[in-house]
Amino acid sequence: MIRTLVICLLACPFGALAQAPIIEISGANFRPLPIAVPAPQALNDGAKSVAQAFDDAFFFDCSAAGIFQVLDRKSYLADAKEGFTASTITFSRWADVGAEALVKVQLSLDGKDLRGEMRLFTVSSGKEDLRLVHVEPEDQPRKLAHFFADALYKQFTREPGPFQTHIAFVRRAGKGKDIYLADWDGRRASAVAQGNINLLPVVTPDGGSVAFTSYRSGKPALYLQKPGGQPQPLVTAGALVTGAAFSPDGKRLAYSMAQGEGAQIFVASADGSNPQALTDTPYFINSSPTWSPDGKRIAFVSNRAQTPQLYVLTVSSPKDVRRLTFQGNYNQTPDWSPRGDLIAFTARDERNAFDLFTVNVETGKVTRLTQDQGNNQEPSFSPNGRLIVFSSNRSGTSQLWVMTAEGQNQKMLPMDKGDYSTPDWGP
Amino acid sequence: MASSTAPVSLLVRRPDAALVRFVFWSALLHAVIFGLAVVWALMHETPAIDLSQTPIKATLVRQGRERDEKLLPRIEEAPPPPQEQKAPEPVAPPEPPKVAAPAPAPTPAPPKAKQAGEKQGDKQKLFGAFDKASKKPTELTGAANGDPQGDAAKAEGEAYYARLQSQIKRYYDVSDTIPDAERIRLVAQVAIFVNPSGQLDRARLARASGNDLFDSAVMTAVKRAAPFSPPPPHLRDPLQKYGVVLQFRP
Repeated sequence: MIRTLVICLLACPFGALAQAPIIEISGANFRPLPIAVPAPQALNDGAKSVAQAFDDAFFFDCSAAGIFQVLDRKSYLADAKEGFTASTITFSRWADVGAEALVKVQLSLDGKDLRGEMRLFTVSSGKEDLRLVHVEPEDQPRKLAHFFADALYKQFTREPGPFQTHIAFVRRAGKGKDIYLADWDGRRASAVAQGNINLLPVVTPDGGSVAFTSYRSGKPALYLQKPGGQPQPLVTAGALVTGAAFSPDGKRLAYSMAQGEGAQIFVASADGSNPQALTDTPYFINSSPTWSPDGKRIAFVSNRAQTPQLYVLTVSSPKDVRRLTFQGNYNQTPDWSPRGDLIAFTARDERNAFDLFTVNVETGKVTRLTQDQGNNQEPSFSPNGRLIVFSSNRSGTSQLWVMTAEGQNQKMLPMDKGDYSTPDWGP
Repeated sequence: MASSTAPVSLLVRRPDAALVRFVFWSALLHAVIFGLAVVWALMHETPAIDLSQTPIKATLVRQGRERDEKLLPRIEEAPPPPQEQKAPEPVAPPEPPKVAAPAPAPTPAPPKAKQAGEKQGDKQKLFGAFDKASKKPTELTGAANGDPQGDAAKAEGEAYYARLQSQIKRYYDVSDTIPDAERIRLVAQVAIFVNPSGQLDRARLARASGNDLFDSAVMTAVKRAAPFSPPPPHLRDPLQKYGVVLQFRP
């Protein structure tokens, strides 16, 4: 024993000398994870009938997530006989096509229940990282897809995914404008307000209703309505009331109301009672309020410096107003990121094109997100702050698009043909 | 006597003289080992790596008027790649008229016809760059492969490691899915063994980061970056025997 110890001690200096040098390598190129998402396996005939709908939603969620590079299915031939467990999958084949992760889904219809099982594998190690079983009604394959996509997103980012959330938007119908509430991807849309002109929808913090500006009484006023329900007046007193915005805790409501030659920002209780003016610029227009995630500040648009620019005020001391944008001469439709650091907005540039930008609330740095792709307007952050939905006419008609908060991975939402505008992304 | 030959524990109390002898020989042995280690280290000096060494970064600068700071920013796009200039097709020399018979006696090949535009000056320009390397300096002092500072081996080693670093960095792609909070504490070490021709003999994960995606990304980077350029002579042996450790951080 002691002899061994002595030999070890003697060998120590030589061991140290034999140590290899170390080279530091940092500054990785962060890029989306190459992931293979083969079509789901339908275990029975009933599942086959809904597999396509599931697949459409799941594939689009993964593609739009911004963190994955979903491999084109044409680049690999999915082997129908390949198994569903780590021991029965030939991972070298997936590595050859460049996949670093592999997601497999099996669907089966059991009576009225659609049962899905998702497994996630790391291709290099052949390890199963996630296994999830979930059941939805047979007519809800897209809901099942969004559930799995959220789980996948959370597995990688440890953050909640945005795929089970909802958006509200305006769809032109003849001379009128209707409001819909839909899944985040614009599908499974249900009409909220139809007939007349309804604008600027906002999903309530509980996700069940939509507040909007409507001309149903002849002048614009704020209403609240559930899909299939009746419109509840929120703020109908006074002239020209527009642009409702609920505080993140859902207890307060900010809006813009015309007074004399100007328009002021007001804050009221969530039901529209106890209104209180936050701005006092009688000859200027203040509009489009948006709350900071902590509910302490409001960003809005004002033309008090001649051109529409973004400003931020503190709700508890409304005189504390700070101008946020100094570039461009037509900045509007701000939306404060739920992460707190950025405000996305629409601006008209020197070429008279409307494009999307973000401004850092603390530093004032403006970053461009869209460029040379038609007109892009009305951004709205996803509840996790990682994606932005917006309207764009780049495809010929006004459609809803999604991209990352950095402006990457711009994709059109898979909606029916129509003329869509002013999306709002809610819970 | 039987008792004197029996093994005695080192911990047993000894007469003072024995203890002094033991301490003396022990100290001497340590000194010899230390001396040998120093001599060995001096003889096999591994090149020091300058960790502060950073690659040269080139930035494209737009020439012309600066953008008005009151205007909204535009996304800077990379300038279009320069149009590839097609190398002029070599002009085929006119075929000699075919003569049926008799076969002419072999004659020495005529001097190759000069191609259009080719002048002696052009040729010099073309090959001048290559000639420079082979041209001998007018005055020869010192060893043929020496350098003015005399630290060629060290500098060469550093340059080799810097090349290795930049080559691997080119393939250092890490998944965006790794959360920010995790990125700051990820460290992985990969030991690589390079043979004298620059081929990657083997690579193993010496220290895992705890994140499978990151570990697989660094291993992929190393494997995709191989083969490397052949190591300088004094590094061939150490790189093949002991390898080099690459420490990756995001």
